[in-house]
Amino acid sequence: MKAFSSMHPFVLMIYFLSVLITAMFINNPIIQFSALFGGIAFCGMLTTAKQKLSDIAFYIPLLILISITNPLFSHNGETPLFFMNGNAVTLEAIVYGVFIAVMVIGVMLWCKCYSLIMTSDKFLYLFGRVLPKPAIVMSTALRYIPMLKRQSAKVKKAQKAMGFYTSESYFDRLRFSLRVYSVLIGWSMENAVETAKAMNARGFKLKNHTSYSNYKFKTVDFLLLALNIALIIFVFWGVGSGAVAFSYYPQITHIDTSAFSLAVYSAYLILVFIPFFIEIQERIKWNCYRSKISALHTQRMKKEQ
Amino acid sequence: MKKDILIIFTVVILVAVLLMGTEFQSVDDYYLTHIDDITPQSKTVTLTIDCRDILNNYDKLTPSLKSEKYVPKDGYILNKQKYVLRDGDTAFDVLYRVVRYKKIQFEYQGAEDNPFGSAYVKGINYIYEFSCGESSGWVYKVNGVSPNYGCSKYQLSDGDNLEWVFTCDLNNSYKYSDDKDGDDK
Repeated sequence: MKAFSSMHPFVLMIYFLSVLITAMFINNPIIQFSALFGGIAFCGMLTTAKQKLSDIAFYIPLLILISITNPLFSHNGETPLFFMNGNAVTLEAIVYGVFIAVMVIGVMLWCKCYSLIMTSDKFLYLFGRVLPKPAIVMSTALRYIPMLKRQSAKVKKAQKAMGFYTSESYFDRLRFSLRVYSVLIGWSMENAVETAKAMNARGFKLKNHTSYSNYKFKTVDFLLLALNIALIIFVFWGVGSGAVAFSYYPQITHIDTSAFSLAVYSAYLILVFIPFFIEIQERIKWNCYRSKISALHTQRMKKEQ
Repeated sequence: MKKDILIIFTVVILVAVLLMGTEFQSVDDYYLTHIDDITPQSKTVTLTIDCRDILNNYDKLTPSLKSEKYVPKDGYILNKQKYVLRDGDTAFDVLYRVVRYKKIQFEYQGAEDNPFGSAYVKGINYIYEFSCGESSGWVYKVNGVSPNYGCSKYQLSDGDNLEWVFTCDLNNSYKYSDDKDGDDK
C-alpha cells in the first residue's frame, strides 16, 4: 500500500527535508502551489476517504482565515480597495495573504505525510547511533501526542462510567475536563519515567548496543536519492540566480517565463510529485497482479470442471 | 480538535478587528480633493518629504523598490511647499492631510496602538521602515532639528519648516540633528 515508505529511511529523510525547506523558504507562488498540490496528491494516497473529508473541512476554512489575516495587518500595495481606520486594504496584501495560506497549508500537509511515513523506528534507526539521547527524547515526545489523546478518551469514559459529571451544565463540563487533565498529567509523568527506565534497562545508551533493523540500501534508493539531490541542487541554483525571485509589494511582479525559470519550476514539480508517482505505479502493479491472480484462478476453476 | 483550532483562530481575528475599530472608507472618501487655501491671515508651515538618503545607499534598497516610480531621481517625494497650519496641528496631522491630498501612499500606526502613545509613520510612497537597511525609517525634523517627541505629540507653530526624511541609518541621523543644535563636534 505505501510503496514510498518502504524506501530507505535516509533517503526519505533527505527527501522530506528538501521538500519542506524549499516549500517554507522560497517565496514564489508557483513553487508554493506546486508544493501544495504535491502535498495534496501524496496525502490523498495515504489517507482514507473519511480522513480526506475531515481534512477538507479543516484546511479550507483555515485557508480563508489565514488569507484574511494578512490584509488586516499589512497595508502596503499599489491598488487600495478601501480604507480601514485610515490605512489601505490593498489587493496586493490580499493576494499575498492567499499565498501565505497556500504555503502554510502545503507545509502542514507535507508534515502530515512525514509523520505518516517517518515512523519512530525509522527515526531511531537514523539518529539512534549518532545522537542517542535527542533521538529517544524526540521520538518519545512525538509519541506522546497520540498517546495522550487515546489515554484522555479512556479516562473520560472511565469517569463517566463511574457516574461523575453527567450533567450538561457548562461549569460541570469544565470541572470534568480539569479533572481528566490532572489525571493525565500524573499518568504521563509516571509513564515518561517508566519509558526512560525501560530503555535504560535494555541498554539503549550502551556503546555496543545494537537494534534490529531491516533497512537495506537498494538500487531504487540510490536512484531516488540521486534524482532528489540533482533536482534540489538545480532548484537552489535557480533560486540563487534570481530566476524565481518574486515580490508582492508594492506591486505584484510578473512571473518570469524564461526557459531557465520554467525549467526550475518543472524540476520542482517533478520533485514534489515523486512519491505520488511511486504510489501510483505501485497501485497499477498491484491491480495487474490481482487481475493475473484472478485470471489464474478462473483458469483453474475451468480445468477442474 | 481541528474544530477548536478553527474556532480559536476565528475568535482571535474577530477580536483583533474589533479592537482596531471598524471605520471603513472608500478610496474616493479617503483621498482629499481639496485642501485649505492659503489666505493672508492663515498660519502656514512648509512641508518636504525627502528620501535623498536612499540615493547614497542605493545598493541596500529592497530590489522591488529600485524604480524611479518609488524613489524619485532627485530624492524628493514632495518638494518644499507651503500649507495651511490649523490650530493644534501636529507634525503628523500636516503630513497626513497633505499625503491624502497629493494621493501619496501612506501607512501609519495609530497613537492608540503604539506603546509610546504617538502615531508612527511606517511608510510613505511604498518606502517602508527597514526598506533600505535595518536601521532605516522615516523621521521628521522641524527647522532642521529632530524633536524628541513622537510626531503626533509635537505641535507646530506658524512658519515652521517641517521635513519628513527617510534615513538609512537612524543613529547617524540623530547625531546630525545634535550637530545642528550647536555642539562643536
